Amino acid sequence: MVATVASGAVPAERDAALPAFAEAVEAHKAMVYSILWHFLRDRSLAEELAQDVFLELHRNWASMKSSQHILFWLRRVTSNRAIDCVRKRKARPETSLEETGEPTVLERVHDAFLSAYLERMVASLPEKQRIAIVLRYQEGMELEEIAEVLGIKAATVKTQVFRGLDLLRAKTARRLETHRHQP
Amino acid sequence: MNEFEEQLKQALSRREPPSDFAERVLAIARNQSRPAAAARLRLWFHRTRAWRLVPVLAALLMMTGGTVYEQHRRAARGEAVKEQLLVAMHIAGSSLHRAQHRIFDVETGEVTQ
Amino acid sequence: MKRNVFGFVMAMALAMPVGAYQDLKMPVNLDKLAERASESVDVTLDASMLQLASGFLSKDDPDEAQVKKLVSKLKGVYVRSFEFDKEGQYSMSDVEAIRSQLRGPGWSRIVGVKSIRGENSEVYLKKDGGQIGGLVVLDAEPKELTIVHIDGAINPEELSELGGHMGIPRMDKTKTGKKDKDNAKGDQ
Repeated sequence: MVATVASGAVPAERDAALPAFAEAVEAHKAMVYSILWHFLRDRSLAEELAQDVFLELHRNWASMKSSQHILFWLRRVTSNRAIDCVRKRKARPETSLEETGEPTVLERVHDAFLSAYLERMVASLPEKQRIAIVLRYQEGMELEEIAEVLGIKAATVKTQVFRGLDLLRAKTARRLETHRHQP
Repeated sequence: MNEFEEQLKQALSRREPPSDFAERVLAIARNQSRPAAAARLRLWFHRTRAWRLVPVLAALLMMTGGTVYEQHRRAARGEAVKEQLLVAMHIAGSSLHRAQHRIFDVETGEVTQ
Repeated sequence: MKRNVFGFVMAMALAMPVGAYQDLKMPVNLDKLAERASESVDVTLDASMLQLASGFLSKDDPDEAQVKKLVSKLKGVYVRSFEFDKEGQYSMSDVEAIRSQLRGPGWSRIVGVKSIRGENSEVYLKKDGGQIGGLVVLDAEPKELTIVHIDGAINPEELSELGGHMGIPRMDKTKTGKKDKDNAKGDQ
């Protein structure tokens, strides 16, 4: 018997639900991995935690009510794991907004390199701003959706996103200035 | 959304995990799905109403001098020990993996030896 | 350039003079750590238990087949692993009883890494003639402590080949250069 995830039904028993679980892994692995990667900037750690998240989903499969529930649950657990990991390890990426050195010859302001630069800058934001920015711009979530996932008020999410954007803009602008003045 | 936000959205586009990620997750999930041998037996016992066979089994046991029981006990014990071994090897592999990772951190100047 | 960390250090370890070795004993005081831990794992499998377990490992399951291959040459597998709710629940003196045994003849420390984040890794190999006769991994993090002792002919490379199996991330052996630049280029 093959169990598939329909719009509403999620098979309760873990064993019989493996095919449905496999579908959920395929459907959402990029989302989970990317949230962790953009947050932590550590490939193997992102992979390890992504794996943990899915295994926890598997353990809690019986309580999943729908595909939407699975998506919500994954975003919530992934976000919490990312924040917990940083707090646990007291790890900050090597590059902080204040500590960024002068760009090298290769790091000219160009769409592709600006992307890489922005990625690094996002990963150096304070945790709450970081997760809000990642969920907003990686996942395209509305502020209310983010608030629900993180279990905080929408107004707080709005503040975190705006503060994060301000910091990112300020640093990027400073970098653009630097390049303009380079010979 | 303004231009900066569009650039940010592009920078934060989703990435795929390694190609064997799903396979590895499913491999562990399959192990998680297997209930302990004793629980499996209980499940089977209740589902198939095997309790009706108890008197027959009792008679058989007496006749065979408990051999069937002993074989079942050994099988259950073997499965339990196998699970312990898999857990132990998983922990051993993970610990070694972390040690290797920290060696690379040394090589890249992250930590000192 | 493919790096083979464990292959190199094993070659060095085997080149060292051989001395007599003692059996390794897991310290009794580790039981006290289990009382403080939020989660603990205690596995003790001697040769007879390993043989029993091996009989139930499936050749058709890739994870179990890999473990079956590893276990065929082993005399024992011993794991103590503890996870704590907060830092400071254990100290390195708790594991000193085992480390002092590993300073004896027959054991060589092939890895000793200490990070500023309080994460320590030590790997020891036991020499048995010209072969490896055992392996110990001490993995200490602020809220986790793991001690693994594998008695028998174990190749650390074979053990790390479990990477890719059993959910253990595969180690990127080709990683070189600065980590930040590596991460910046990412998975493109």
